[in-house]
Amino acid sequence: MAALIDIHPAKHRTRVRRATAESAWSRWLVISIAVGFMGLMFVLPLVVIFQEAFRKGWEGYVEAFDDRATMHAIWLTLQVAAITVPLNTIFGLAAAWCVSRFWFRGKRLLTSLIELPLWVSPVIAGLIYVLLFGAKGFFGPSLKEHGIKIIFALPGIVLSTIFVTFTFVARVLTPQMEAQGQAEEEAAMTLGANGFQMFWRVTIPKIKWGLLYGIILCNARSMGEFGAVSVVSGHIRNKTNTVPLHIEVLYNEYQFVPAFAVASVLTLLALATLILKTLTTTKRGAA
Amino acid sequence: MSIHIHNITKTFGSFNALKNVNLEVKTGELVALLGPSGSGKTTLLRIIAGLEFADEGAGSIEFHGSDVTNRTAYERKAGFVFQNYALFNHMTVAENIAFGLRVMKKPQRPEREDIDKSVTELLRRIALEGYGGRYPSQLSGGQKQRVALARALAVGPQVLLLDEPFGALDAKVRKTLRKWLRQFHDETKVTTLFVTHDQDEAFELADRVVILHEGDVQQVGSPAQLRENPKNEFVADFLDCVMI
Repeated sequence: MAALIDIHPAKHRTRVRRATAESAWSRWLVISIAVGFMGLMFVLPLVVIFQEAFRKGWEGYVEAFDDRATMHAIWLTLQVAAITVPLNTIFGLAAAWCVSRFWFRGKRLLTSLIELPLWVSPVIAGLIYVLLFGAKGFFGPSLKEHGIKIIFALPGIVLSTIFVTFTFVARVLTPQMEAQGQAEEEAAMTLGANGFQMFWRVTIPKIKWGLLYGIILCNARSMGEFGAVSVVSGHIRNKTNTVPLHIEVLYNEYQFVPAFAVASVLTLLALATLILKTLTTTKRGAA
Repeated sequence: MSIHIHNITKTFGSFNALKNVNLEVKTGELVALLGPSGSGKTTLLRIIAGLEFADEGAGSIEFHGSDVTNRTAYERKAGFVFQNYALFNHMTVAENIAFGLRVMKKPQRPEREDIDKSVTELLRRIALEGYGGRYPSQLSGGQKQRVALARALAVGPQVLLLDEPFGALDAKVRKTLRKWLRQFHDETKVTTLFVTHDQDEAFELADRVVILHEGDVQQVGSPAQLRENPKNEFVADFLDCVMI
């Protein structure tokens, strides 16, 4: 029997049929639909982006970045991410901590609010801030009085980006912290650790891969957000154009190579995110 | 160190987990909290450790005469061994044991070499010499249990609280560890309270056994006293199961 398996491993394998196994024909169909769809929707555009970006060769590609507006857009996007990601990391940790550790009135409401950015259109998110802080908005007059500019400026872009991305860290951490329970934290407490020591020495190491995963997703989204930022930014070149907005401007001005070259940077960010995400998922699985 | 529990009541929502519990554990005693599941024994142990708080205004807890009712677990520093060990999985065995010493405030915290020394000494005591560099995931259940015990003992607690210490172990390991714990207690004389649902375990190990049922203390006494003079039908019934 053993010899037979060795000689015809493939043949033997096909004979083993589980109750849930589909026929070869339908399996083939499902797989080709999935792979075909992925190819058409994801791989092909990826190829096109790089093809267009390098249409005028490497020099054309590099030249695309030798532009004040482009560099400013990249700088602004980095600034937005540098403010948004730490704030949402803290918020996400606090929210996940509350939801997984305590029972309180309004807990369900908080859990649904955490998911709000996933089902509210980013454009609506941007509009909320315009309605609140815009010139004709609720706080508009008093802000103007004090000379504070939120809409069509960095604060507005940061606010709407925070809104769109605040879900990621909290959503990754909450189920993880719920599953892990708090016996280790209790053990740390009975051993005389104070809250700070418990958090840094026990909780953070326990959740670090999940936390990193959430931060990566949050970062990717905060750099790539278009809709919400588009509403509050005002598209002022060299002032309030982030990378995604700048790409649109370039494209609308028929500057295809620069548009795709800048787009390729965001694409590389996405690919790096994907790789990191896969790595942290494996780590999380192993932990 | 002695433990005095006066009129402790605990409710979770509408569920009455403990009803007016009174109990005294003398210094150096080894006491078992015995009862069926849901009888409130783990809740009582957690309240003693400060991991849970009794209902407001309902009674008090004293450690060696001083009132600790409103002190946190962090202030009480009762050694606690959890049912599923709750070892820190990202730390080695040695780091686990050293944890309580390393989080001490600067003036009390021992020097690095002294910490290493106590860890080595504790590893020897739990017969796990040379296991210091391993991670909890590389240990068997019985080994994890002993590491959890060593970790709790490292800070020199005056009280040791064990929640179902042998619950997750197979019968053979359980017997060996039971003997080992008794011996260990005889050597160190740390006031020890442990929770179990296993009558054999309670009777073999403990100086005195506390029988709990539905949040009520049914009877307290030495194994012999309980066997000879069960106070009510529940105790008699519960202990009869043992004899068979």
